[in-house]
Amino acid sequence: MKYAWYPGCVSQGACPELFKATLAVADKLEIELVELKEAACTGAGILSERNPELSDTLNARTFAMAEKLGLPIMTICSTCQGVMSQANFKLRNDPDYLAKVNETLALEGLEYKGTTKVSHLLWIIVEDIGLDKVEPLVTRPLTGVKIAPFYGCYILRPTMFLDFEGHPERDTYIEQITTTLGGIAVDYSGKTRCCGFPILTMNEKASYAMSGDHLIEAKEEGADVMVTPCPLCHLNLDAAQPKAARQKKVQIGLPVIHLPQMLGLSFGIPPKKLGLNRHIVNTKSFVAKVPA
Amino acid sequence: MPQHDVLVIGAGLAGMRAAIEAHRHGANVAVVSKVHPVRSHSNAAQGGINAAMPEEGREDDWESHAFDTVKGSDYLGDQDAIEIMAREAPSDIIELEHMGVIFNRDERGRLGARSFGGASFARTFFVADITGQAILHVMYEQLMKAGIFVYEEWFVTSLIMLDGVCRGAVAMDMLSGRIEPIQAKAVIMASGGLGRVYEPSTNAMICTGDGIALAYNAGAPLMDMEMVQYHPTTLPANGALLSEAARGEGAYLINNEGERFMGNPRNPYYAPNKMELASRDVVSRAERVEIDAGRGVDGAILLDCRHLGKQKILERLSQIRELGIQFAGVDIVEEPIRIVPGMHYQMGGIKTDVDGATSIEGLYAAGECACISLHGGNRLGANSLLETVVFGRRAGLNAGQYASSVTQPVISNAVKSDEENRIQSILNRDPTSDPPAAIRLAMGQSMHNNVAVFRYEGGLKRSREDIAQLKERYAQASISDKGKVFNYNLISYLELGFMLDCAETIVAGAIERKESRGAHTRTDYPERDDENWLRHTLVTLKDGEPRMDFLPVTITRWQPQARTY
Amino acid sequence: MEVAVKIKRFNRESGSGPYYEDFKVECDEHEMVLDALIKIREYQDQSLALRCSCRSAICGSCAMRVNGHAGLACNTKITDALARSDTIVVEPAGNTTVVKDLVVDAKPFWEKIGKVQPWLSPVGPTPDHEYIVDNADMLALNQVMGCIMCGACVSDCTVLEVDKRFLGPAALAKALRFAGDPRDGIQAERLQTLGQPGGIWDCTHCFECVQVCPKGVAPMDQILELRRKAVEQGFVNNNGARHAESLANSVKRSSWLDEKRLIVESYGFRNVGALLGLIPTALRSLLARKMPPLFHHKRPGADKVKRIFEKLESK
Repeated sequence: MKYAWYPGCVSQGACPELFKATLAVADKLEIELVELKEAACTGAGILSERNPELSDTLNARTFAMAEKLGLPIMTICSTCQGVMSQANFKLRNDPDYLAKVNETLALEGLEYKGTTKVSHLLWIIVEDIGLDKVEPLVTRPLTGVKIAPFYGCYILRPTMFLDFEGHPERDTYIEQITTTLGGIAVDYSGKTRCCGFPILTMNEKASYAMSGDHLIEAKEEGADVMVTPCPLCHLNLDAAQPKAARQKKVQIGLPVIHLPQMLGLSFGIPPKKLGLNRHIVNTKSFVAKVPA
Repeated sequence: MPQHDVLVIGAGLAGMRAAIEAHRHGANVAVVSKVHPVRSHSNAAQGGINAAMPEEGREDDWESHAFDTVKGSDYLGDQDAIEIMAREAPSDIIELEHMGVIFNRDERGRLGARSFGGASFARTFFVADITGQAILHVMYEQLMKAGIFVYEEWFVTSLIMLDGVCRGAVAMDMLSGRIEPIQAKAVIMASGGLGRVYEPSTNAMICTGDGIALAYNAGAPLMDMEMVQYHPTTLPANGALLSEAARGEGAYLINNEGERFMGNPRNPYYAPNKMELASRDVVSRAERVEIDAGRGVDGAILLDCRHLGKQKILERLSQIRELGIQFAGVDIVEEPIRIVPGMHYQMGGIKTDVDGATSIEGLYAAGECACISLHGGNRLGANSLLETVVFGRRAGLNAGQYASSVTQPVISNAVKSDEENRIQSILNRDPTSDPPAAIRLAMGQSMHNNVAVFRYEGGLKRSREDIAQLKERYAQASISDKGKVFNYNLISYLELGFMLDCAETIVAGAIERKESRGAHTRTDYPERDDENWLRHTLVTLKDGEPRMDFLPVTITRWQPQARTY
Repeated sequence: MEVAVKIKRFNRESGSGPYYEDFKVECDEHEMVLDALIKIREYQDQSLALRCSCRSAICGSCAMRVNGHAGLACNTKITDALARSDTIVVEPAGNTTVVKDLVVDAKPFWEKIGKVQPWLSPVGPTPDHEYIVDNADMLALNQVMGCIMCGACVSDCTVLEVDKRFLGPAALAKALRFAGDPRDGIQAERLQTLGQPGGIWDCTHCFECVQVCPKGVAPMDQILELRRKAVEQGFVNNNGARHAESLANSVKRSSWLDEKRLIVESYGFRNVGALLGLIPTALRSLLARKMPPLFHHKRPGADKVKRIFEKLESK
């Protein structure tokens, strides 16, 4: 399988371990990745606050690049996925708008015809590859490990932009993958809520209260580790965890890993190669739980 | 005991408009409502609000609006009241606009109108198809701005009557179950309609005729109660209303032959000129005839909007589309939707003069619970919203002025304890297995079967017997919830009592009126009879029974003519 | 068909609950969750408390949680509610206190609405006719005017769960109804007030309100519209506006995010306290070797991205 890969800013910035782990796992899954090196940031939902057309145009530019390659896009970030899905929905359902956006793209000789499919790695694993193809790759099953999913808002809502009609189970994929890898999925109410990252600089207390609540709830439900398909959520759940814990006046110490890290570990890829040593909350306790 | 100059019962459009007007003139006003104001049923008025506002490019005049209303009423409306409504409509609409209603505009940025049933010109001003909601929410904004106190989720159980004069109401705070007399120099009844007397009905579950029954039990005469409007386009599944705005924008009514039957003389109620936009009573009868003649589709008629195009539907009929998708699984953009005539509106009500005064001193009424009478035998679409603002305002002004002329009387504490005892005795009844809901359902079905579009004496008398029997069952029924907090079991029981009283007066009026006029069509008296029946029926409670009286219709300038559309 | 309904019960008065109670009720396929609840109330347990009235999604009374998400019981199809489970779980709306069963305290909701001066406030003499405004401006308000104040958005708002000061999606959407109305005369004051803590910049962009709104009001989109208007009016001296500005500049400059600069610029260079507060996180990241690159470089194609910015920003 071959995809135009859109790694996003954070996997090349504050979460380089995600970039690394994705490559390692793609290799195992026999996914061929053509990185869209010239693609711009999606605007992260923030640029569209200021200028929706500008944000949509940047995304249309990325879609056009993939269209030229004749490949669907693979994302590894819930936020990138959500912003792109929304932009793609608007462009595909409004020909006049698409034409207007294409006027700008013509500046660099690009045109988006509206055919590019954009999928997160999470969806690709379940829908394109299939869990039955994943299972045989597991050499180090996550037996007995309790794993709390954390999806990230953009990959869940609004469902109308994310084709939940065609794939109503998309809010259970992390659990499905967890089970396939031999782990135990932890159910808790916070798994589909907001990590608090977007208001980190506007309302820091509320931001940490959100991440803190979800981490504590997951831990109380017995989680050994939390896994997320979104590096922005990861920042607030992992990098900011010490601060959230201090605000909540409790010890949390719950490792938070990226989706491909969970896959990679069960495929027998060495933790270091997956960047599991590059987290703020030490992942050793979790790695130790996975039978060798 | 809380005291006010003016107490308004009901927080729909008429009630809030009345409260604002009385407040403007210096009265200490409070509103009592069993639901939060924005939950009121004025929300449901979708299509618009009428006013003759001649403009460059828009021909119209108030006389035409008045005449259309008189003709729509089948000449039973009082023409002095109708003239007031038509004359004052434009300034009230402009006032709504100034308050903040986001009315549709024309290309010049002026208010833009649409066509509605029974109207000679396009004079219905609108906010998409959420006009009632849009106005109701703005009126509530104005209520907040004025700082008018609302007894929110308080249920009125009786009126305080002192030597035949109304001096407030006893109400129950639904949150605590506490019963409290609220004293007032004047009371404005604006409690809305009684749709739930029928099953099904387009009306909300709160439309239980409370105020009509309260006034009736206090001795006020009710007028033209037999005039119950069946709306031509309601959903068969649950009685939900699809606004006349659909036909106003050009939708067709078709039978199982794909024919626009409103144009076919085979149907005795056809309307060759107005077609689908004839008066509601006419269209409902025509539909019933088609269905009964086997030209329906699964017992219904088809409303066809497809030719209007997606853009117009989305811009102007989006809520109708949403309702169709949600409740019937039909997208009106793609296919016709099945509709039937359904109970919608009570033209009759508490008899008032043009200033909202009832026959009881201190008691005023406005909106659907009142009968001024504007609508006579049949209300034109988009005149009900207009009635609420014009006559809500007038009632508010008049009640406020009256209140400033009298002093606050002394109310005995026994008012409170008597009502507490009465309610407690209901709660104390021995348990029975006859829930209030079963009694209501039986009442609603009897009314829908016998007191609907076509009526005849045998059926009406059957309903009279049904209601009498149901009243006996009601007197024995028990309340299983013994709690104080949000005891909806008790509330729905009290509402049922109000509805049974309303049902009794509707049936009494319908048996009495031996002719066919407006919404009241008697198969045993198929013709309009101006000689004997160009008059209002009045029903008053005497010794526990409805007693009939009559009143002449006020005719100012339009003599009765044959009514064709 | 027989439908299984699990209802969260609570009675403050008697002190019973909260607990879940199971009911079975016969319903038609076209019926709504509210129809099932009414049948239960009418014939099985008459003490069940819920608000409901219009049954057609216009009065806003019956907002509650069905299968964990807020919505109107009257327009939630039973068959949809059963699509992924064999029981319909009905609970009261969130982010407020429960009074009895499915009836919640609505006071906090209306207090928030009251805080946005929720009435049109024109300035200057009132014309003797209507205000002359463009129909497009009126149509643009149809979406917010569609709000029926049911409170579903507030029920599921993730910020309100952790910060009661937040005005919340319903009140902010209501605020746009005036801040976006050309007849209103105090729009600048409104936008300035809404920019305070607890206002438009505290929305976390989680889309819960957009997802659950039964009337398509998309409150979050309206909040973003308010942000746009606030920035246009020059109310930029806050972390939210600075954050958006910094992000845009970063993408314009280099085609991608400069995360270090984004954080610093959001707080503002003068906010020494907040900047010092960043140091522990930065140090921890440094130790874990997960800091963004020290020098933020331009990505390939950055010049082309810049041209797009220049074209569309000038509009």
